[in-house]
Amino acid sequence: MENQQQPILDAIDPEITERLVSRRDAIRQGAGASSRLAAGLALGSVPVALAALSREAFAQTPAAILDVLKFAFILENLENEFYKAVLGTSALAAQNNAFAAVRALIPDAAKQAFQQIQKHEQQHVDFLKAVIPQFGGTVTTITAADFDFTGGNGSGTGPFIRATTELDFLLLATQAFEDTGVRAYKGQAGNLLINGNNSADVALESALRIHSVEARHAAKIRRIRRQRNTGDTSLRFSGYVRGGGVAAAGAGNITNPPAEVVAALNLIYGGATSESNTQHVVFNGTAAVTIDAAQLTGLGVISSGDRTAAATQAFDEPLTKDEVINIVKNFIKDDAARGLP
Amino acid sequence: MAKFDPAREGEPMVIRSAGELMFPATRRGFIRTLLAGGSVMLLPSVFTACSDDGDDNPLGPGPIPDPVTGVSFNLQSDVGIFQLLHLNEQLEAAFYTAVVASGTFSTLSGDERELLTDIRDTEIVHREFVRTALGSAALPDIRGSIDRNVLDQVLSSRVSILTLARTFENTGVAALNGAAKYLTDARNLLVAGKFASVEARHAAALEDVLPPAGVNANTAFAGDHLVDGTGRDVKLEAGVVLQKVAATGLLRAGTLAAAPITAGPTPLQGVATADFFPANP
Repeated sequence: MENQQQPILDAIDPEITERLVSRRDAIRQGAGASSRLAAGLALGSVPVALAALSREAFAQTPAAILDVLKFAFILENLENEFYKAVLGTSALAAQNNAFAAVRALIPDAAKQAFQQIQKHEQQHVDFLKAVIPQFGGTVTTITAADFDFTGGNGSGTGPFIRATTELDFLLLATQAFEDTGVRAYKGQAGNLLINGNNSADVALESALRIHSVEARHAAKIRRIRRQRNTGDTSLRFSGYVRGGGVAAAGAGNITNPPAEVVAALNLIYGGATSESNTQHVVFNGTAAVTIDAAQLTGLGVISSGDRTAAATQAFDEPLTKDEVINIVKNFIKDDAARGLP
Repeated sequence: MAKFDPAREGEPMVIRSAGELMFPATRRGFIRTLLAGGSVMLLPSVFTACSDDGDDNPLGPGPIPDPVTGVSFNLQSDVGIFQLLHLNEQLEAAFYTAVVASGTFSTLSGDERELLTDIRDTEIVHREFVRTALGSAALPDIRGSIDRNVLDQVLSSRVSILTLARTFENTGVAALNGAAKYLTDARNLLVAGKFASVEARHAAALEDVLPPAGVNANTAFAGDHLVDGTGRDVKLEAGVVLQKVAATGLLRAGTLAAAPITAGPTPLQGVATADFFPANP
């Protein structure tokens, strides 16, 4: 057995080996132990059980899920309070007043879309508020006063201040917020995966159902922008994100965008896995395979000049938690004590 | 090829067309199966001539293969869940390819033509990606199983095209939202997530261009018919997804097996949750 164990342990990084020492604790937690571990133990196969446990211990724990939910709660509050400020329904008069000028410019059809979106963000806040205690967490009180929608970290004069007076700028910022939300949830999905843990199943499924609602929002705002800029076909009527970085934002109708805004859009549509990425990894049961969607065979119906664009628009990409925090931190007033970045 | 589900080792070998016996590997398998005392099913399609040539072909390039029958899914692995995705993506890609090639297409607005062309291109990328990911476990080409009479009827009007498209996309979102929890590998889950938000963008756009009866056009993209009171999108378990796909009528009877799910997810993969889906998406 020694010679069978050795290659497996060699292949596991030292941090994991260290945590294997506490495997009994992991087993005792129960919720995290899956079929693979149980099967390995039942077979009496130490290598199989260890290999399974190394995955299980680093598959997710209820604590990891709580972390994701609390992170999502901050982002949903940010979105919800943003829309309330734009619509003039914030509990804080200063937030309503800040957006008074641009509010008067929003056409009724777009206003109805904003109201519908705000309703969902409030529902997401309420849903997370109800779910977090089920994972043993306490809900932080977050209010409109915690946010600076100009991206000024409390100054009220940050680089996004033109969103309070210019409709096209507001719509661009809104689209960017929504796409950040889509990418944030996508990046966290793997952290919610505990097969066979019913609470985790519900958390994962709920996060993905919120994720696709955010995608509907983002697509709608992009389409509203396209309808105001009919000549700009980089803003797809389909609401797709095509390409990556600032180019994927479709910011061509914003005159002299501040450098900080361009930098922010590069983060929002870029990152370690940019929206322009065409390479995706699948695990087929025995090996991880990287597939380049721009190099697939069988794309013949698509005009040859459109294949790379099609390959980028066909996949939305994730952001890591650190990337998301880097994007949103200047919209949230610092308060590390309450977990606000 | 004749066999697409490695999990069905030991089950009868299925020969769908005489052409398959032209492949040396199939011939060897055929003979080996007979020698081993196994059974070989010759589907009726083996005895019928190929009805479509590649020249008059709205479903995509290349000759249309004979219809496949009895397609079924074992959802106890990520492979089975991706096979379900492969069915949906094949059907969608074939449909949108036919839409863009149809006479009705030229009567649509510029925005609608852009939208449907974008969706066609995306679904083709999805189809080819999933096929590549599945490798030898990919489903066979199902274009021959599309009921051309039903398809022609749908293609005859803008409203029927957009209505079926809307159903497809909302079903696609719901299918991914329902199946993701059963995936066992986080990389596969991430890929499913990359697809899901794109399908949600399609669905939102189609709701905008043709909202269902009685739904406010300004909020249909994520209307109250699609998003529940907790702000969560549509979601369906796999069995209902297949019922919705069958209910479109686009697949010939018998394409899916009478019980198309041979094995559902185990409790160790995940537990089914309540579905949420409108009667008229």
